[in-house]
Amino acid sequence: MTVVGLRIARLLLVALIVSFFTFVLLDASPADQAVQQAGFGATPEVVDQIRDDLGLDDGYLVRYGRWLGDVVQGDLGESVVSGRSATSLIRSALPKTIELMVLAQIMALGISIPTAIHAAQRPGGLADRISSGLAFGFLALPAFVLGIYLTFVFAVKWDLLPAVATDIPGLDEDPLENLRQMFLPSLVLALNLVAVYLRLLRSDLIDTMQQDYVLLARARGYTRRRVLWRHAFRPSSLSLVTAIGLNTAGLIGGALIVEFLFAIPGMGRLAITSVFSEDYAVVQATVLVLTLGFVLINFVVDLAYAVIDPRIRHGAR
Amino acid sequence: MMQRGFRAWSAVVVTIALMAAACGGGEGTDDGAAVADDTAVGDTGADAPDAADDESDAADDGSDDGVDPATDGGTPVHGGMATYGIISDGTGFSTTDAVQEGAIRIIGALNDSLVAIDENGEWAPLLAESLTPNDDATVWTIGLRDGVTFHDGVPVDAAAVQANLDAFRASPTVGFSLSVVESIEVVDPLTVQVNMRSPWAAFPHTLIGQPGWMVSPETIGLNDMFVGTGPFVLESWTPGDGAITVRNDDYWAAGDDDLPYLDGVNFKVIPDQSARRQALEAGDIDAYYAPGDLDIIDFMATDDIQIIVDSGASNEILYILNTTTAPTDDVRIRRAMAHAIDQELIISQFRSDLTEPASSFIDPSSKWWADTEYPQYDPEEAQALVAAYEAEVGPAELTLFASNIDSVLEVSEVIVSFWEDAGIDVTLEIIQPGNEVPPVIGDAFQAIFWAQFGAVDPDGSYVFFHSSGGLLNWSNLVDPRMDEGFDLGRESFDEAERARGYAMVQEVFADQVPMIWIDHLSGVEGVAAQPDLNNILGGTLPDGRPRWGFLSGSYFSWDDIWIG
Repeated sequence: MTVVGLRIARLLLVALIVSFFTFVLLDASPADQAVQQAGFGATPEVVDQIRDDLGLDDGYLVRYGRWLGDVVQGDLGESVVSGRSATSLIRSALPKTIELMVLAQIMALGISIPTAIHAAQRPGGLADRISSGLAFGFLALPAFVLGIYLTFVFAVKWDLLPAVATDIPGLDEDPLENLRQMFLPSLVLALNLVAVYLRLLRSDLIDTMQQDYVLLARARGYTRRRVLWRHAFRPSSLSLVTAIGLNTAGLIGGALIVEFLFAIPGMGRLAITSVFSEDYAVVQATVLVLTLGFVLINFVVDLAYAVIDPRIRHGAR
Repeated sequence: MMQRGFRAWSAVVVTIALMAAACGGGEGTDDGAAVADDTAVGDTGADAPDAADDESDAADDGSDDGVDPATDGGTPVHGGMATYGIISDGTGFSTTDAVQEGAIRIIGALNDSLVAIDENGEWAPLLAESLTPNDDATVWTIGLRDGVTFHDGVPVDAAAVQANLDAFRASPTVGFSLSVVESIEVVDPLTVQVNMRSPWAAFPHTLIGQPGWMVSPETIGLNDMFVGTGPFVLESWTPGDGAITVRNDDYWAAGDDDLPYLDGVNFKVIPDQSARRQALEAGDIDAYYAPGDLDIIDFMATDDIQIIVDSGASNEILYILNTTTAPTDDVRIRRAMAHAIDQELIISQFRSDLTEPASSFIDPSSKWWADTEYPQYDPEEAQALVAAYEAEVGPAELTLFASNIDSVLEVSEVIVSFWEDAGIDVTLEIIQPGNEVPPVIGDAFQAIFWAQFGAVDPDGSYVFFHSSGGLLNWSNLVDPRMDEGFDLGRESFDEAERARGYAMVQEVFADQVPMIWIDHLSGVEGVAAQPDLNNILGGTLPDGRPRWGFLSGSYFSWDDIWIG
């Protein structure tokens, strides 16, 4: 419990530090939020009034403190562009990105785990070489190239899937239509992850298969397949879990290209459009949420280590 | 064995199931699929440029039955939801702020301006029933239609129109458009009187655009709603993703045809150009704005997609020069910069020969266009002018601002090379899209990439060139002939007199070169659509006159459009 408490405290500290430096960086930007909000042609009096209303003449520490106080009360600020609250914009964008991230991980793991186990049974064999070659091929293709190609094949040529997400229904409203629209973007993200997962798990499995307890299991007559699944897979998955954690967190903000390509209004798109439109309240709020997501997922990964490998759990005591 | 096999491949099965669900689920992927057989280039202008005519002919040759779905398409059908791919959805709908292009496209479905424009470029009452000037155009009386209501049921009466116009005038960001208006009075519940400080014969043209947008008085200035009078009602707006509009069952202009035909329009933001194209080809969307020149060329060669390009009301691509800062304060340098540019090369390389070279903001197809001595491509003359300047003043050095957009930068880099060939030392400074206006207003620039204008009536550009425009006189050029020309165009009812005024204006562009004009986007600014999306350009006005097709920037009304 103490360890968990410490990690939560560390999580909050990281979020605080990141938000502070984000605030400082945005503050150093040459853009004037008052001018931005006033629009072109506004008189200096109007700009000054807005600056006064927003408290932009206060020092950045005062303004950061004020922002932090609002955040603690659940107020992430207001978009100077649309006038909507940053909370409502994030509430609209975040579920789509989380769904994209979860589907991508399910697909990536669904492809890479059985393939890695199959490849590890006969390292250097035909299946191993083919799977590795294909995986690296997908890794080498940038998401936008893969996305355009898959869209051309699945949407334009075969008319099986939509080329863009036109109006994504909620999973609770129409799960099939939801999955139909999210499938291709998730697959594009997944195929880039497959190579990483496949190679990590395959090499760890091959190492584990050299362990004494595995050899003992083999000596007792268990099949190679059973040994792989029952005895080798779990201890071999630590690197995989680390990679999943890092990639999951990265996908929260890193799905930008896929979100642009498939017109999904997720967090990546919200962040980048806010940066371009100098909508700093939304940028600040987005960075905070992404930071919290990143550290939270890595926190969960830390906990998962102890569940997966009892040696870590015992070591922690 | 069975259990082991299941475990080994369970994850694969989950993935395949997911794929099967995804592929099999839903419906309507073939909505608007490529089944129709017409390809058309819409062209509403009788005097359209030759190039556009040629393209139109070429496209018509490819159709099977000669029916142009852009303006006709057969018997209208009610029903269906159209999805329109747009690049952005702007930043909100407040009619008292500077509304951005994406939002204007959405407003096109929600709004009826007080005034519209007919196929000949003449103004015509739309939401207003009549507009009547006094003899010298210093007083305009606006008559309103009885029984028209906003989407929230509030009547469109004189008080509502007065409230909208007064709020617009008071706006620090857009009020300059009505700076000539001195006061607005309610005469009776359906009559408003607009009193001018000086004659304004072209006033109705101003009410075609944002000044003429009427929203329910309680919602004036609200940014996330638009309670207008148009054929569709705003159901939802998700900033960055677009808006969904649904049919207005109480549409005041429904008429015998029970307009609008569509059940709704989904304005979907698809920022990526290739994604917009693929979405159209896959049948996921019914139309998209801004196909590139290469898309247009491709679609012209097929019957599966219709291409509708602007005619006579498109934006211009240009470079504004600051005439109050060295070296662009010297007309020799400005003329040299114009002489240095090979417009035909730009049009050939970056527009696939679809656009027309520009020498002003007036399209050659317009009745206001005048032939002038605008400096033509002459690299030797450009070098001579720069050499003369440098011998007298010193090195000619300037910074060119260009937006961080691929299509802008690739043209601007070539422009820089032209100017450097002439002997000018040019630094290209890239700025973020949307940040172009502050340096121009603050005069903190020498040359900057720009895209604007295209209004059917030149009076819409008055403030951007007239010396009274102040900060909005982009180039800061103050020239009595420019002022006199624009004033003639503004104050006179006589078309010949107005034409004389705008000819003077164009002569000043040629003599003083406050802007380097590149081209009119009349051949590439447009819409790509499924063949079964009918009548994009074929709407009619309440008095039965055919409506002008696209307004500047390929804006169009959705009330007469149908799928079938």
